[in-house]
Amino acid sequence: MALNPPSPTPSIFSLRKKSSQTPVSAASYLSALSHMDAMARSRGSTPSSTPALSFSSSATGSSGDSSVCDDFDDSDGLSTPSKPPTSEQVFTTVHAEFGHCADERYRYESQCKPGDSYDALEMDPPYRILLTTYLSYLLLIIIGHVRDFMGKLFRPETYKHLKSEGGYAPLNSDFDSFYTRRLKKRLDDAFSRPVTGVPGRTIMLLDRESKDNHTTFQFTGTRTRTLNISSYNYLGFAQARGGCADAVEEGMNRYGVAACGPRLEGGNLDLHLQCESLVARFIGHEAALITSMGFATNSTTIPALVSKGCLVISDELNHASIRFGVRLSGAQVRMFKHNDMNSLEQLLREVISQGQPKTHRPWKKILIIVEGLYSMEGTLVNLPAIMELKKRYKFHLFIDEAHSIGALGPHGRGVADYFGVNPRDIDILMGTFTKSFGASGGYISGSKVLVDRLRVRGHAGAYAEATSPAVLTQIMASMASIMGVANPVSSSSTSGALVVADPTAYPGAAPTQLIPTWFNLPASLSSGLEGLERLRRLAFNARYLSRGLSKLGFIVYGHPASPIVPMLIFNPGKLHIFSRLMVERKTPVSVVVVGYPATPLVTSRARFCVSASHTKEDMDVVLRACEEIGDILDLKHGSPERWSVDEVIERAVELVETEV
Amino acid sequence: MSTTEATLQHVAAFLAYALAAAEDVFFKIPGSHVVARYVKSSHQNDPGRSVLELILIIFAIRTLLQSRTRADNSGKNFVKYTEQEIDELVDEWTPEPLAQPLDPMEQAELDSLPVIQGATGPKPKLASSGKTVLNLASYNFAGLAGNEVIKERAVETLRKYGLGSCGPPGFYGTIDVHMSLERDIADFLGTESSILYSQDFATISSVIPAFCKRGDIIVADRGVNFAIQKGLQISRSTIRWYDHNDYKSLEEVLQGVEKERKKKRLPLTRRFIITEGIFANDGSLLDLPKVIELKFKYKFRLLLDESFSFGTVGRTGRGLTELYNVPATDVDMIVGSVANSLASCGGFCAGSKVVVDHQRINGTSFVFSAAMPAALAVSASEGINILRDAPSIMTTLQENVRAVRAVLDRVDCVIIPSHPASPVIHLQVKPIPTTSLAPPSASSPPPLKKSLPNSVQPYNPQSFDIIEEERLLQQVVDEALAQGVLITRAKHLRGQELIEPRPSIRLAITTGLSKKDCEKAANVVKAAFIKVLSKRR
Ligand SMILES: Cc1ncc(COP(=O)(O)O)c(C=O)c1O
Repeated sequence: MALNPPSPTPSIFSLRKKSSQTPVSAASYLSALSHMDAMARSRGSTPSSTPALSFSSSATGSSGDSSVCDDFDDSDGLSTPSKPPTSEQVFTTVHAEFGHCADERYRYESQCKPGDSYDALEMDPPYRILLTTYLSYLLLIIIGHVRDFMGKLFRPETYKHLKSEGGYAPLNSDFDSFYTRRLKKRLDDAFSRPVTGVPGRTIMLLDRESKDNHTTFQFTGTRTRTLNISSYNYLGFAQARGGCADAVEEGMNRYGVAACGPRLEGGNLDLHLQCESLVARFIGHEAALITSMGFATNSTTIPALVSKGCLVISDELNHASIRFGVRLSGAQVRMFKHNDMNSLEQLLREVISQGQPKTHRPWKKILIIVEGLYSMEGTLVNLPAIMELKKRYKFHLFIDEAHSIGALGPHGRGVADYFGVNPRDIDILMGTFTKSFGASGGYISGSKVLVDRLRVRGHAGAYAEATSPAVLTQIMASMASIMGVANPVSSSSTSGALVVADPTAYPGAAPTQLIPTWFNLPASLSSGLEGLERLRRLAFNARYLSRGLSKLGFIVYGHPASPIVPMLIFNPGKLHIFSRLMVERKTPVSVVVVGYPATPLVTSRARFCVSASHTKEDMDVVLRACEEIGDILDLKHGSPERWSVDEVIERAVELVETEV
Repeated sequence: MSTTEATLQHVAAFLAYALAAAEDVFFKIPGSHVVARYVKSSHQNDPGRSVLELILIIFAIRTLLQSRTRADNSGKNFVKYTEQEIDELVDEWTPEPLAQPLDPMEQAELDSLPVIQGATGPKPKLASSGKTVLNLASYNFAGLAGNEVIKERAVETLRKYGLGSCGPPGFYGTIDVHMSLERDIADFLGTESSILYSQDFATISSVIPAFCKRGDIIVADRGVNFAIQKGLQISRSTIRWYDHNDYKSLEEVLQGVEKERKKKRLPLTRRFIITEGIFANDGSLLDLPKVIELKFKYKFRLLLDESFSFGTVGRTGRGLTELYNVPATDVDMIVGSVANSLASCGGFCAGSKVVVDHQRINGTSFVFSAAMPAALAVSASEGINILRDAPSIMTTLQENVRAVRAVLDRVDCVIIPSHPASPVIHLQVKPIPTTSLAPPSASSPPPLKKSLPNSVQPYNPQSFDIIEEERLLQQVVDEALAQGVLITRAKHLRGQELIEPRPSIRLAITTGLSKKDCEKAANVVKAAFIKVLSKRR
């Protein structure tokens, strides 16, 4: 096995490509998979002797991953920009964290234009792909069962933990864990990759290898800087340098790291109140409540909103935290087909007319819970249609903006901003700070009555730790730099026009009194100009990658404005290979691949998360990588109307700006 | 007559022919012989079974064909309306407002919530008065809040990692500092492995359902905290309750579970005992060796919530296992808080590698939530280092606890359910001995001798007047605050806890205050109690 050629030779892939038209292919995928494993193993054991590694950027430095000066090894082309800055360009960010991109053409505005078609078209792959995908699952399942059977027969000691033993039932029955052991384990190399440093434009992977088919992993001691197209760092605020990080450092020095207790029991800091006011102003709601975890924001407040006798209508693809909260609430749940407004209206008519089951009493409340931007699909909620329904059917509306807040809309205020809907017409907006703001935790916003009720009825207020002051500073600094700080003496803001006269206007600048006096934001941030640039860069990158991949012939899901770009791979065997080939390129790219059960069985995909910190060149790198690997793995099943990769890169601006 | 017979014969012949043809076709399908043989033999043995199987198959096909989102309009309860009627019903329907405004008491409580200005710690400044107060409210048991070394390490980490992790652990959110903290916790406790969650409250409510499914059996203490209650609710397991910290009751329930299984010939399912180290709701302490003995005897697994005992008891703060000197590996899952004593954020579950790895895929709030900020993970690791190197922290904490208890134990009008070693001290109002002869409630059912394991209600529920006691306690809190001591009532979601905890004031003792300050604070609390409660009746 160790004699296998270390780099992907064309032969094995052309073999696979050919055979993918026949049912046999599933088996060949598997063999390729183990082949890849073997390759990795042989490479891992002799790191420097293989040609593949001489390309890769394994850095063995011991500290200071993030600053340019420590890491000037630029064989991967990631740490320094391809073009050195001209003398009048000043970049305040570290290129590896937040890319330098001065070209004003590479900007776009994230806004729903009148006449934009809402529906994203989802293409079906050719039948042979569906067939081979199903067959590979079938094969995996059969092989898995055979291995289980043989294993239990011949090596019972390794299966001990799956059987009742000494009067204890197994913690994990073999049936429940079958998927994990027999399917997911094959892909484990692509999951939970440990990292170090800032999850910014690039991220440093800790290289690891497995000698026992992914049962255990060993670190090789080397590290690889990769282009990070996976973290939820939409606005690029994951930074160890710059105005926000400076504010956080000051915050840590002043406040320490913890609030020491639940909000209602002695963990209530002035910073919490300031931050909540700022968040409310940002969202355009009357009041807001902050929780120390995004997941818990849903799971601990939904039970305070609805209870027995209420109905929750939930999109079928809603996040686990929403399901968790709804289950705790005791309310009835009905689901509607993802983003299908007809299905929703049908359901509304039925449930309102029928009332509660058995008794036919009218529902006390009906709460519709949807997400702004769906994290696996890249679809946006059809907000205009829901607002129409809301007028007619009088339900309450809860939108989880975990991914859309900051990432969508001309002012970064989320889906409402994107579609031009007044946020006050939406009862509850929820979001998290882990994504666009580079912090952690979540918020709920709404009317003051509602938020006060949640303060005393939500589980988090009385029982969960309050948000750390260090996190609060990051939230406030990043949010203020998106909003800009209202500064009466600002005169230089001719281009941004961010300084509005009315400090209460939405979406306006942050009033100075909501920012702690010790915040010393640099002018680029407090003017809101950099924030605006981030929004516009993100919007460009998102559209560019999504449209670019489609033009290359890939099937891409989701809305073109979405910074989440899922690219369909279908075959489970290809997931792991795709991920592996991406990190082993000359300019390594770290990607997220997801398969069943996070997605439907056939539609396994790679999920790219675009960031404002990426430059256009970074997007080019990703497109080129996909182009090459897509050919090798036979992934292009999309539109026959294709461009070459050079053409896509050449005509990027045109691609982004044309309305479809 | 004969004509009909002839026709019948024709029909019969045709039928026979058709049947033969169908059979022919059927047997051409590969595998059909097996099916036919199976049906034949099963029909021979038990004709009822064939019918049942047929129904099952039809049912399976039906379920498969029905989509998940189908309208539930097949039930007999469904009323058919015309579109126009539906429109009218829609027009008629008026939902309740999403949230009821706070009542004046709730509003007052929210408005009077103390706000700490600047850093919190043993002596923080209040925003309302600008005064510095002695803090017996915040969870800062080991005095790590504001620790300079920790701050320095946090800033260092910030400069290397930024703040947020920007992703769940599965997708590039596993940072090396998380792995080190997990190792530090495991080493500190002496378990094989551990796993981090990003909020302490969300930890146990994910750990429980990761292991306990429908059909599994959980034996839980009646006094468990709200987070555990939520975990139990999500798990959908069968729950049996035993009386709070009553090991005889525990043993009976464990025996009962086994007896029931034998009687009903149920298959062996997973069985757990779930309890707390130091109970959040009253500060009482678990007799861990006793529970471990029982768990081994009856073959249950033990899930222990050490949110308040980790970092507060034991020689170096390793918690209950250190206090009782039992190996941590005897406890199957130890859940603890990184936020409470380590003054950082998040929670953990420590146990064997199998236990921990299982959660990396099945712990809902682990899988579906972003990892905690790197700087906070490093702060916690540093906190563990400090605890490990300075056993004096725990000694001081115990001295402070003793100092406070020495003052408060002698107050007549207060009941303290908390264990003398617990740094979480609950103070309840002692009811005025009633002289009235009337029984408290004549209409209540006759008292039971024993609690029923199936019901969370104990046989002798305490009766108390929540509103009145909370009002009195709030006065005590306000009075103490006026005298420069920050304390808080234990806040509960009334109406949502399975058993209403008796209203109390919850003190959190800290190493950060000197013994003298603690005594001073305790005397203020004592004076406040006496002042408020002597005015009663
Ligand atoms: C829709 C949605 N809600 C809530 C969350 C949880 O947020 P957090 O990671 O901050 O806990 C997520 C995170 O993935 C999400 O996608």
